Amino acid sequence: MAKKRHILPGFGLTLGYTLVYLTLIVLIPLSALFTKTLSGGWEHFWETITSPRVLASYRISFGLSFIAALINGIFGVIAAWVLVRYEFPGKKLLDAIVDLPFALPTAVAGIALTALYSPREWLGPFFKDLGINVVFTPLGILIALTFIGLPFVVRTVQPVLQDLSADVEEAAACLGANRWQTFWRVIFPALLPSILTGITLAYGRAVGEYGSVIFIAGNLPFKTEITPLLIIAKLEQYDYTGAAGLGFLMLLASLVILLISNGLQHWQAKRQGVA
Amino acid sequence: MSIEVKNVIKKFGKFAAVDDLSLKIGTGELVALLGPSGSGKTTLLRIIAGLEFPDQGEVFYGEEEVTDRSAYHRKAGFVFQHYALFQHLSVFENIAFGLRVRPAKHRPAEADIRDRVLELLDRVQLAGYEKRLPSQLSGGQRQRVAFARALAIEPQVLLLDEPFGALDAKVRKELRTWLRSFHDTTHLTSLFVTHDQDEAFEVADRVVVLHQGKIQQDGTPREIRERPANDFVADFLGLYTESAASGI
Amino acid sequence: MAGATTFPVRASRAIPRGAASDPLWVRIILIGIVLVFFSLFLFLPLVVVFHDALLKGLGHFFKSFADPYTQHAIFLTLLTALIAVPLNTLFGLCAAWSITRFQFRGKSLLTSLIDLPLWVSPVIGGLIYVLVFGRQGWLGPWLMENDIRIIFALPGIVLATTFVTFPFVARGLIPLMQAQGFKEEEAALTLGANGWQTFWRVTVPKIRWGLLYGVILCNARAMGEFGAVSVVSGHIRGQTNTMPLQIEILYNEYQFAAAFAVASLLSLLALVTLTLKTYAEWRAARQLSAGTE
Repeated sequence: MAKKRHILPGFGLTLGYTLVYLTLIVLIPLSALFTKTLSGGWEHFWETITSPRVLASYRISFGLSFIAALINGIFGVIAAWVLVRYEFPGKKLLDAIVDLPFALPTAVAGIALTALYSPREWLGPFFKDLGINVVFTPLGILIALTFIGLPFVVRTVQPVLQDLSADVEEAAACLGANRWQTFWRVIFPALLPSILTGITLAYGRAVGEYGSVIFIAGNLPFKTEITPLLIIAKLEQYDYTGAAGLGFLMLLASLVILLISNGLQHWQAKRQGVA
Repeated sequence: MSIEVKNVIKKFGKFAAVDDLSLKIGTGELVALLGPSGSGKTTLLRIIAGLEFPDQGEVFYGEEEVTDRSAYHRKAGFVFQHYALFQHLSVFENIAFGLRVRPAKHRPAEADIRDRVLELLDRVQLAGYEKRLPSQLSGGQRQRVAFARALAIEPQVLLLDEPFGALDAKVRKELRTWLRSFHDTTHLTSLFVTHDQDEAFEVADRVVVLHQGKIQQDGTPREIRERPANDFVADFLGLYTESAASGI
Repeated sequence: MAGATTFPVRASRAIPRGAASDPLWVRIILIGIVLVFFSLFLFLPLVVVFHDALLKGLGHFFKSFADPYTQHAIFLTLLTALIAVPLNTLFGLCAAWSITRFQFRGKSLLTSLIDLPLWVSPVIGGLIYVLVFGRQGWLGPWLMENDIRIIFALPGIVLATTFVTFPFVARGLIPLMQAQGFKEEEAALTLGANGWQTFWRVTVPKIRWGLLYGVILCNARAMGEFGAVSVVSGHIRGQTNTMPLQIEILYNEYQFAAAFAVASLLSLLALVTLTLKTYAEWRAARQLSAGTE
């Protein structure tokens, strides 16, 4: 029988600590979501997740997040292209600030965006003249969700773009393709998996976002409420089971998005291996 | 110190890198493990070093069985193909490393460490380089530091994994000659892995040819050249067996 | 979320010229689009924070920090980070060591689990601890009997913060340690170094920039966490308010200048984080390419 021994020391210690930590901090508390939901019974669960106010929140949390992710998809690719392929003054600064949504606390982003678009100052008046309200409307939420997802597509596409060999493009040029054709037929297909991955990541992040949204949203029931807010609302009403049920649903949604993202990354890895 | 491996088997998944291999290396010998990539030579070397555990079989250093002891316990000096120097430490500290990590009662005094390191630097013809960092050295210089580092712990055996593989031709030749003369003065039991037959034949007392985890031939360079044991050996070395010469 | 907060270990490539470069007008338009987009979404919000913080003058700005509730919020934020970050750093080191140095089954499941907090809503990160330690929770009755407060007190805040930030150090280290390989550790072993010596003398110097990267991101998120802490904190002024929560309270009470004052402090932290992060990435990339020459 083969002996399973490790040369480098510390396997038992490090893996053991890792697993214990994960179990205590993650797995056991997460299972509380599941058991609490179950304890309320299937009907209560179903009622909770299909009540009209909750359904309205799905449109915001899941629907608007998708649009935000798509916006980030388009602008993220352009940004990645500009950051990788062009040289211009201030590029390093631009590159560094892409990660601002990661580093900036969500509450700070929330009040900053609200102030930025509130009708009386900054950009508010400009929109007001066009007859568009931003704060307390889905548009404001969309802006907040776009902010939060901004780095994902850029950072997922950048490394892939950097690794793309220039000679393929030069070959296309030799064969008579102009830049647009080269982009569409040669570069874009190679980038597609990473773009989709980035969009999925941005989507997953936006779906659960709380802090940067609730200020600009105004939290009007049936109009601008996000699902995480409803979880908190239920907790405040001591409807622990309802909160757990909604939380469980969101957890499932996150896991599905995670699986899709993993699948996409797998596809991307295979593509890069062949390319 | 002699080395012996008995009926060693090492599998990676279904692939047997070392397939029921037995080998004896006498004290003071300088032996080359020669073969194409995938022949199992590096795996065998790592098993002897204690950087892999065999699935079956035994490893002996002298009379002592060391099969279950990791490299930490065996006193084998190991030289890696890509040097594996500690990038953040100076040349001096790299060489002194093995002496500094010894438990307190075996640790030599600071002055003794200094003497030993400087002596070794001299030996590998790098006197005056003690304050440099690895990133400031050429490939050949780095490999010599790696040698000195392995020798600092006064090993019982010296194991080298394609030690000159990452270097260019001229440096390779110089280091080859240096290794041979080093061995002639110290008579430290040494085993090195290579896929370069010129290297094996020039440097070693004895050459062991490996293929698919098994020994194809084991003898002096002259023996192998004059009487290749089978078609593989002849083919690999670009030699002719009698059958091949007459068969066309 | 690979590629997002994982440690990038690539070197940059040359920019193509001649036939494979874009005409000037294309470049101008694209750069222009990016500048507008970034200004709108990234630069302007930052400008707003600092501008609105100083709107009522420097005097008012400093007065905001004289408020005892605000001071306590700052203190609580720092204390939480001081506990959560080292715990998560230790976890990150152990996880990265076990994942990158050994082979075992279930490794990809483990890696996915480590990524989990990045995927779930922070509100869930608070909710789960309420379900365990809250009044109606599993341990609720027992805790009440023994007069131990977890929810609506510091331990709950630390737990929630730990949950949402524990991936960062691990994700900073894992790709780096995988790219570096462990030949040096093997060398140390052959030279007679034991586990601890190998770790301290060889591994830690190798990974220090990845470690710094992970720790500063972990810290930034720990000090800025809002959703998860909001659930477990109870918003008790002077007791369980962290800086982000204090910002919310001040804002909802229309004390905008004060809210932005506190926000400006956190924004400064964000900028410092970004700077350190960029520096750490650069140093690690240099270290990696120097080591593989």
